[in-house]
Amino acid sequence: MNQAAPAPRENQGDPVVRIDARLKVTGQAGYPADIVTANVAYGALATSSIARGKVSGLHTKDARAVPGVLDIVTYDDMDKTDTPKFGNTGASSIGPLHDKTVFHDGQIIALVVAETFEAAEEAAMLIRADYEDERPAASFDSKGVKMEPAAGKNPMFKEDAKAGDFDAAWADATVKIDEKYSTPTQHHNPIELFSTTAIWQGDQLTIHEPSQNVTGWKVELARQLKLDPANVRIVSPYIGGAFGSKGPMTARTAIVAVAARRIGRPVRCVVNRMQAFGTQTYRAETRHRIRMGAGKDGRITAFGHEAWEVTSRPDPYVVGGTSATARMYNYGAVLTHVSLVHADRNTPGYMRSPPETPYVYALENAMDEMAVALGMDPVEFRRINEPEKEPIGGKPFSSRSLIKCYDQASEAFGWSKRDPKVGSMRDGDWLVGMGCATAIYPTAAAPCAARVRLTADGEVRVQCGSHEIGTGVRTIAGQMAAERLGIGMDKISVEMGDSALPPAPVSGGSISTASVCSAVMKACDAIRGKLFAAAAGRGAPLAGSGNAKLDLKDEEVVTETGKSAKLADVFKAMQVGAIEEYAEFAPKGSSPEALSKLYAGQSEFHGGENDEDSVKYAFGAEFVEVRINSYTREIRVPRIVGAFAAGRIMNTRTARSQLMGGMIWGIGQALHEATEIDQRHARYVNRDLQDYLVPVNADIKQVDVILVPEIDHQVNPAGVKGLGELGNVGTAAAVASAVYHATGKRIRDLPIRIDDLIG
Amino acid sequence: MPDAKMSSGLSRRMFMTASVSAAAAMPLVNSPTRAAQPASAKPAEPRDLSAVSMRINKQTYNLALDNRTSLLDALRDHVGLTGTKKGCDHGQCGACTVLIDGKRVLSCLSFAVMNQGREITTVEGLASTDGELHPVQQAFVDHDAFQCGYCTPGQIMSAIGCINEGHAGSEDDIREYMSGNLCRCAAYPNIVAAIVQARDEIRRA
Repeated sequence: MNQAAPAPRENQGDPVVRIDARLKVTGQAGYPADIVTANVAYGALATSSIARGKVSGLHTKDARAVPGVLDIVTYDDMDKTDTPKFGNTGASSIGPLHDKTVFHDGQIIALVVAETFEAAEEAAMLIRADYEDERPAASFDSKGVKMEPAAGKNPMFKEDAKAGDFDAAWADATVKIDEKYSTPTQHHNPIELFSTTAIWQGDQLTIHEPSQNVTGWKVELARQLKLDPANVRIVSPYIGGAFGSKGPMTARTAIVAVAARRIGRPVRCVVNRMQAFGTQTYRAETRHRIRMGAGKDGRITAFGHEAWEVTSRPDPYVVGGTSATARMYNYGAVLTHVSLVHADRNTPGYMRSPPETPYVYALENAMDEMAVALGMDPVEFRRINEPEKEPIGGKPFSSRSLIKCYDQASEAFGWSKRDPKVGSMRDGDWLVGMGCATAIYPTAAAPCAARVRLTADGEVRVQCGSHEIGTGVRTIAGQMAAERLGIGMDKISVEMGDSALPPAPVSGGSISTASVCSAVMKACDAIRGKLFAAAAGRGAPLAGSGNAKLDLKDEEVVTETGKSAKLADVFKAMQVGAIEEYAEFAPKGSSPEALSKLYAGQSEFHGGENDEDSVKYAFGAEFVEVRINSYTREIRVPRIVGAFAAGRIMNTRTARSQLMGGMIWGIGQALHEATEIDQRHARYVNRDLQDYLVPVNADIKQVDVILVPEIDHQVNPAGVKGLGELGNVGTAAAVASAVYHATGKRIRDLPIRIDDLIG
Repeated sequence: MPDAKMSSGLSRRMFMTASVSAAAAMPLVNSPTRAAQPASAKPAEPRDLSAVSMRINKQTYNLALDNRTSLLDALRDHVGLTGTKKGCDHGQCGACTVLIDGKRVLSCLSFAVMNQGREITTVEGLASTDGELHPVQQAFVDHDAFQCGYCTPGQIMSAIGCINEGHAGSEDDIREYMSGNLCRCAAYPNIVAAIVQARDEIRRA
C-alpha cells in the first residue's frame, strides 16, 4: 500500500492496479496516431489568417510544386459531402471547406497531402489566400457582437432557474454582496495532439482518431460522407487526455477521409499544437454578476446569478452553470439569467466540468465574500445554509454529504489553526493564506450496452464501446465483471474504444463509470442467472440448492450453506464452453426511444436536476493553503486537501488519481491558465505549451484526497456518482479565498497572477 | 532492400520503398558496417535524403531520411517505435524524451541526421527481454503515476535521466528537474513518489 492506493472505506472498491498499466509504461498502448499503416500519406492543414470575411482567392501553385505533394483538398472538394452539424456529436456547424466564409481565425482553408510529414508541412505553409476581410468582434466588449438570452437556444439549457420573489428578498436583505467575476478563455491542451488517420478498404472507412464518442462519430461521419453507418468504423483504444476536447467531432475528420479517398491511400493528419487552438473546441470566457442577500444570522435570503458566455457566430453553445449554482444552498429567493454573446470565434466546447468550473467559481467567491461581510467562518456559513431540499423545484437530494466532506477535509487540513484575520499568518517572507470552497457536479447516466463472455476455464472478456481517456474506466469495468463473476482480475480482458463494440454513450458529463458499470453488471447478472439455474438443476453439481442463495466466488458457484461447485463442472453440466451475454442498460426515466438513440449515436442523459424523484449531485469540500512572497508576490500552493463523496467508489486508486488531477487542474485555473486574445484580430496569441501555462511538477506539492463514504441507491444500479469532473470545481475559488486571507486583496478575475497582487 | 545511394539523386520510388520498409520496423540496410554518407560531407539541401546510422535499443538502424526529419519522427514514422510521443514538436512538453548516449534529450528538437553513430534508448528498450520492468516503469505502475498514459514514456525516460544525473536527491529536486515533462492529467505527486521509490531501488542495486 502507498498513497496512490488508499485503503477502501465503506462502499469503496479495492485500489486495483490499472488493467493497462503495463502497456502504458512500456510504450505498447496504441494511441490512434501510433497505429502503423502501410503506404500512409501525411496531411497538414492550412488555416485562415483572418477571423471574419471571405476567401476570395486561394493560391496553391507553390504548394503543389513541393516534391512529394500528392493532393490539396480545398474549396469545392467537399461538395459531395454534407456540412457538419452542431450538437452533442458535432463540434460546430461550420463546414470550413463548404463555404468560403471565414467565421474565425485559424479556420481550415486547405489540407495538403504529401509523401512525407516534412513535405506536407512545407507545402501547407506555402498556401496563400486572398481575403475580403472585415473587422472581427473578438469577445464581450467588442463592437459587433450579438447578445441573446441563452435559455431555449440549446436543448442542453432549457430555462433560467428561478424561485420566489428575488426583488423583494433582495430589497429586504440586511447584508448584501453585489460583485462581478470573470473566467478566461481556456484550451484543453491534452498532451496527445489531435489527429485523424483515414483508411479506406473499398467502401469501408476506418478512422483512427482519439475520440470520447466513437458511436456518435460513426453516425455523424457517415451522415457527412453519405455512407451507411455500418461502413464506418471509429477506432480509439487509448486516448492521450481528452477533458472534453475529443467529445465532439470536428470538421477535419471528414476532410481527411475525403483526402484518403481521393488519393487511394491512407492519410494521417496530426494537427500541430498551434493549429489545434483554432480547429478544436475550448472553454469560452465567462462573466458573472452575483447578488447575494442575507440576514445577520447568516441565512441567505436572496441569490441572483447573471452570467454571460461567448460563443461563435453560428452555434448556440451554452453551458449555463446556473442550473447547479441555483441549487447549491438554501437561498430563499433565486433569480438567474444566462446570456450568449456571439463573436467571431470558433465554437467553444465542453471542457472538464464545463458549467460548474466558471459558475461555481463565481458563486463560491461570493460565498467567501459574504462570510467576511457577516464576520462568520466560511465553513460555518455554508453549514448554516445547508438545504433540506433544493430550492428551485423543492425536490430532495438523492444523497448529499457536503457537510461530512467539510468536516473531514477541515480536520485533515487543520482549519481550526487558521487565524481568520486577514494578513495575520506569516512565515518569514511568506504571507500565508487559507481558504475553502465547495465542489459540486451533477450525477447522470445514459443508456449503454455491453457484452460479457465467460469461458469454462474462467476467462472473462468485457466489450463496451466506451473510452479510456485516463479515467480508469477500462479497469473499473473489469472490476465490476470480476466481482459479479467471482474471477480474478488477471483473467479479465476489457475491450473499449471501437465503434464495432456494443455502443456506449459519450464519455462526458462524468457518466461513464455509472453507465458502463450498470451495463456490465446487467450482462454479468444474466450470466449468473444461467449458471445458477444450471448449477442447481436436476443432476447438476448443486442440485437441490434451488432455494438457497447462490453466489460466484473464486471460480466456483457457492451456496450460502457452504457447498460449492467448480465453474468448469457447471459448464460441463451445461455442455457449453462459453456463456456470452449482451446487455442494454437504460437509466430510470429513459424515454422509449432512449436505446434506439444509443445505437444512433445520441446519448440521452438522466440525472442531475432533471429527474422527477430527486436531484442528484456529488459534492466535495476543498481547503487550500497559499504562500505569497511579500516582496515578489510569487504565489505558491504548498498544500491542498479535498474531501469528496460520490456514492460507491469502484476503485480508490483511480478515484484518488482523478480527484487529485482535478484539484491540480483547479490550481491551474486559479493561477496559470488563460488563452490570450488579440482583441483587434480576434486571434489566440499564446498558442503553444510554452505560453499557455499549465501546472508543472514544481508548481504542485502536497495534494490530499479524502474519499468520504456515501451510499446512494437512487442514482443508478451501480450506485456510482461520477467524479472525473468534480475535483476541479471550486478549487479556484478556494485559492482566491486563500489569497484574500493572505493579502486582503479580493481577485475576482481569473487567473490570479503576480501583477494582480502588486501595489 | 534498395541499394540506397544517400544523396539528392534518390528517386521518389526508391524513397517510398525505403519509407515503407522502415515503417515496418525493419532496418533499411541490414549490414551495420556499411558506412553511411556523413551528413557533413557537403551542404545538404533540406529535402535531400541523408544516410544516418544509429543504434536504437541496442539494434543498428541504417536509415535514409529527409534532413529535416526530427529524431522523434524518425523513431515513430521510419523505425516504427511509436512509444515515444509527440505532444508539441517544439520542446515544450517533454513527451518525446529519449536517452541519447545515456542523457535525456527531447527528440523533437534533434534532427535525426545529427545522431549518426549515437546510442538511442526509447521506452521500448527498457524492460528486460524476460519482461521484467525497469525499476522506474515498475514504480510508475505501483504509484499510479499516470492516467491517460500519453506523457508517460517521456516521463519515464526523463525520470531515468533525472536519477542518473543525481537530480533526484530530494522531492523538491525531483519536482524541479521533472518540470520539463508536462502531465495534463496532473499525476505529479504520484510521479514524484514513483521516482523516489525507483531511485532507492536503483541505489540499492
